[in-house]
Amino acid sequence: MDFEVIIGLEIHVEMKTKSKMFSASPVAFGAEPNTLTSPYDLAFPGTLPLPNKQAVINAIQVAHALHMKIDNELHFDRKNYFYSDLPKGYQITQNRRPIGSNGYLDIVIDNKVNRVEIERLHLEEDTAKQLHFPSYSLIDYNRVGVPLIEIVTRPCIHSSDVAAKYVETIREIVSFLEVSDGKMEEGQLRCDVNISLKKKDDKKFGTKVEVKNINSFNYIKIALEYEINRQKNELLKGHQIVQETRRYDEANKATQTMRLKTDSVDYKYFPEANIPIIKLSQDFINHAIESSNELASDKRKRYLQEYKLNDYDTSILLSNLAVARYFDECSKFSKHYKAIANWIIVDISAFLNKNAITIDKFNIKPKVLVSLIDEIETGKISNKIGREIFNYMLEKNVDIKTAKSALNITNQESDDKVIRALVNEILDNNEQSIKDYHAGKDRALGFLIGQAMKKSGGKINPSITSKIMIEELKRRK
Amino acid sequence: MNYLDLTIKEIHEALVNKQVTPLELVNEALKRAKEDKCNAFEYIMEKEALSLAKTLTEPEKDNLLWGIPFAIKDNISTKGVPTCASSDILKGYVPIYNATIIEKLLKKKAIPFAKVTLDELAMGGTGATGHLGKTTNPYDVSHERMVGGSSCGSAAVVSSAIVPFALGSDTGDSIRKPASYAGLVGFKPTWGRISRYGLFPFTPSLDSLGFFTRSVYDSALILNIVAGYDKNDFTSSREKVDDYTSDLNKPIKGIKIAVIKEILESVSDPYIQKKFQETLKIYEELGAKINYVSVNHHLLKTLFPTYYIISCAEATSNNANLDGVKFGLNLEGNTFNDSLIKTRSEGFSERIKRRFVIGSYSLMAENQNELYLRATKNRHKIVDEINKVLKDNDVIFLPASPSVAPKFDNKIDQLEDEYLIADNYMVIANFAGLPSITIPTGFVNDLPFGFNLTASAFAEKKLFNIAKALEDKLGYYNLSARTKK
Repeated sequence: MDFEVIIGLEIHVEMKTKSKMFSASPVAFGAEPNTLTSPYDLAFPGTLPLPNKQAVINAIQVAHALHMKIDNELHFDRKNYFYSDLPKGYQITQNRRPIGSNGYLDIVIDNKVNRVEIERLHLEEDTAKQLHFPSYSLIDYNRVGVPLIEIVTRPCIHSSDVAAKYVETIREIVSFLEVSDGKMEEGQLRCDVNISLKKKDDKKFGTKVEVKNINSFNYIKIALEYEINRQKNELLKGHQIVQETRRYDEANKATQTMRLKTDSVDYKYFPEANIPIIKLSQDFINHAIESSNELASDKRKRYLQEYKLNDYDTSILLSNLAVARYFDECSKFSKHYKAIANWIIVDISAFLNKNAITIDKFNIKPKVLVSLIDEIETGKISNKIGREIFNYMLEKNVDIKTAKSALNITNQESDDKVIRALVNEILDNNEQSIKDYHAGKDRALGFLIGQAMKKSGGKINPSITSKIMIEELKRRK
Repeated sequence: MNYLDLTIKEIHEALVNKQVTPLELVNEALKRAKEDKCNAFEYIMEKEALSLAKTLTEPEKDNLLWGIPFAIKDNISTKGVPTCASSDILKGYVPIYNATIIEKLLKKKAIPFAKVTLDELAMGGTGATGHLGKTTNPYDVSHERMVGGSSCGSAAVVSSAIVPFALGSDTGDSIRKPASYAGLVGFKPTWGRISRYGLFPFTPSLDSLGFFTRSVYDSALILNIVAGYDKNDFTSSREKVDDYTSDLNKPIKGIKIAVIKEILESVSDPYIQKKFQETLKIYEELGAKINYVSVNHHLLKTLFPTYYIISCAEATSNNANLDGVKFGLNLEGNTFNDSLIKTRSEGFSERIKRRFVIGSYSLMAENQNELYLRATKNRHKIVDEINKVLKDNDVIFLPASPSVAPKFDNKIDQLEDEYLIADNYMVIANFAGLPSITIPTGFVNDLPFGFNLTASAFAEKKLFNIAKALEDKLGYYNLSARTKK
C-alpha cells in the first residue's frame, strides 16, 4: 500500500541577545547555574516585563529571510499553565498576531525544489532548565526568559530528507544572521516534529504523532525515518495510530512513547496588559532588514556564479559563518578566489584541526594571507616556498617580510629579459646539449634548465625559464 | 498640640521651625499605632523607621516630605520588609527590591512607617477579607463598620491620624471608596502616571497606585514626587510631570461639571442626595457650569459584571506565580503538582479561590468569547461613552458611595441599581485609566461620606483645582476620627 507522509515542524530558536526577552539579565551559555537572574525572571510580585528591542529586530530579520509578512504592530499574549520550569505561571508569547506570517523556504534536493510553507514566526520567552534526579529536581533559572523565536511550518513536508534539510537551512539562516548559534546539541535550536501518514488517495489526514527530543542534526532523518516506518507498519497491521508525544531515544535509535495526548491543553491565552501594543514603523522594519547580515544562500549564489567556485568548495566555506567571513574578507583583497578557497579548505583547516581552534582565533589575517597567495599566483614565489613561509609565519607568529628574510627567500626572477640572457649564457657554454636536444634526447632540456637554475641560485621562475629555454633551443636549430 | 494631627504641609512647617523632629514624629506614631483598635497593621517598621528618623537632623526647607512618616499598603514591594498582601500564600516573603514609588519617597527622606492591611491580594471592597481579619472604621467606636477596601489599612491609619498619608492601590475603587467611608482625600492618577513597578498585580490594565491624605494640597504634593516615567515599567507615561500644586487656588469660573443622571438617581439616601445638591450650588456659585448628562442605564448595569470578569480573569494569571517554589508559603509534596495544589489550597482563602475559578472559567477557550472577550469589548464601549462626556466637560462629579460606611453584616441586594451602579460605578475611571479623586463632603450620624471627581487623562492639575475649590468652601479639611473626638 502506498502511504503519503505529512510532516509539520515547530522550531524553537534561542537567541543570543545581550539580555533576556523581558528583563535586563544577561544571556550566556554555560554560566554557573542561577547566576543570570533578576527579580523579574523569578517572578517576584510587582516586577514587570520590558521587551527587548534587539530580539524584535532579530525576529524581523529571520521573518524577512523566510519571505514572511511582517506585522506592523507587536502584540504579546499570555499562555497560562502551571509547571515548575515556568516561574510566572504563564509564558509571554505572541498568540493572536505573530510578528511574521505566511512565508516559505525552498528546499532543493537533487535539483528538485520543495517549497516549505511557513505559517508563523513569533517571539516568546524560554522556560527554566530542569535537571531531574530520582528523588529531586534542580532548576536553573539562567535560561528562563531567554528570547526565543518559534517558527511553525504548515503540514506540507512529505519526506524526512526535506524535513532534515529544512531544519539545517533554518540553522544556517539564524547562524548567518547571528541571531543564534543554532547548536541543537546545546538546545539553542529545538525541533518538534508532527508526523502522520495517510493512504495516497485519502483526503483526510491521519492521526498525528509528535516527536520531541531530537538533539542533533544527525538524528533528524534517522528519527523521522524510524517514526515513518513505525507508523507504516502499524497501519499495515491494521492498527490505529495513537495520538501521542514520542521522544527520540539516541541509544536505541528509536522513538518511544512520552505521553499520550488526550484533549489538547487550554492555555487560556489573553493579551499581556503590561506591554501595550507597540507600533513598528516601516522605517524601523526596513532598517532591521537592511542591517541584516548577508544570508548563506546569497553568499552561495555569489561563490558559485561570480567566483566560479565548485559546489564542494562552496559548501565547505559556508559550513560555518566564521569561515565564510574569513573567505569574504580575503576576497575583498584579491580575485584569486579558487586559490583562496583552497588555502582555507586545505592548509588553514589542517592547521585549525591540528590545534583544535576555530578560524576566528587564526593568527594570519585575511589581508596577509591574500598577499602571500597573490605572490604565489603571480609567480613571485613558488608554491613550495609559499607553504614554507606560511608555516614559518604560523610557527613564529610573524609577518611575511620577517618570514622571508628569516628563511633567506627573495622573490623569484620572472623577468623575460633577465632569464633569456641567462638561458643564452648557459646555451653558449653547452653546445653538446643543444645537439642532444635536437637529436631527441629529452634529458638535455632538464639538464639545461637545471644549469640555469643553479647559476641563478634557484631564484628564477622554473616555468618561465623552461618556456624561454625551449624557445631559444628552437632558434638554435 | 500633636503634630501628627496636622497635614503634611503643616507638619513640614513645624519640622522646619524645629518645633518637632522626625524622631519625635515616629515615636508618637509608634505610640498611636500600638493603641490601634482597627486592626490596620501587617507590620510596623519600628526599627527601620526609628533608625531612619535618627539620621534626619537637618530639616530641608524646600522638601515637604522630609521626615514625614507614611504607611504602605502591603501589596507594595518593600526591600527587606515582609510583604504578604494580607494573604497566607505570601507568608514569610521578604522582597529583595523596593517599588519605584517607595524609592522616590525614600529619596525625599519620607519615612516608611508601616505595612498596612488590605483585602486579601487587593481583591475585595470591604476590608474584611485579609488574613488578619477585618480592618474596621476608626469613626465607629464599636468597630462594627467597615472602612472599605481593598486599601482598608491605608484608610484606617490616615483617618486615625497615625500618619499623615498612606499609599494605596486602586483597581475598581479601592482607594476612592474607603476615602469616602473614612472622611479622607483619596486619589488615583491617570493609568501610567505613577510607575506600577513593585505593585503586586491584581489587574494590570486597571491597577493604579495612589494615596490617602487629609487635604487636597497634600495629595497634589505627593503626586509631584511620585509621578513620572520609569524604565522599569513599560506602561509608565513619558508625559511631562507638572507641578500639581501650582493651580490649586485658581478660580474655577467657567469649569464644566458633568453629573451622570442615571448614576445619581441610583443613590437612595436622601441626605446624601440633599448634600449633593448643596455642593452643586456651591460649584455654581463659584462660576462652574453643571451639565446633567445621560448614559445608557443598561450599560451602567454592566459595569460591575464587566469589571468582575476582567479582574478575575487577569487575577488568575497574575497570581499564578504564587506556587510555593520561589517564595512565600511552601507545603511539601511528592511532586511539583502535589506541592502546588497543597500550597495554593492552603494559602488562598475560599473567596480568592472562587475568583480564580470564575476567572479561569471565563478564559477557557469555549467560554472566552462569551465572557472574557465580551467583557473587554464592553469595557471599550463604556470607555467611549465616558470619554464622550469628558469631551464636553472638565470633570464628572458624583457621590463616591451611596451611603456612609456600612456595617460588616449589612445585607445588600446585589441586583439592585444601588449596588450595581451607585456602589460600583467608580470603576469607570479604571476602565478608562482616568485620574479620580474622592474628597470628604459631609457626615451622617458622625460618619463621613465623600464625593468623587473624575477628569480626562493627564488632567490631574485641573482635577486637584476643582477638588480644592470645594474643600475650601465646605471646610472639610484635615479630618480625622481622632481630632473629631
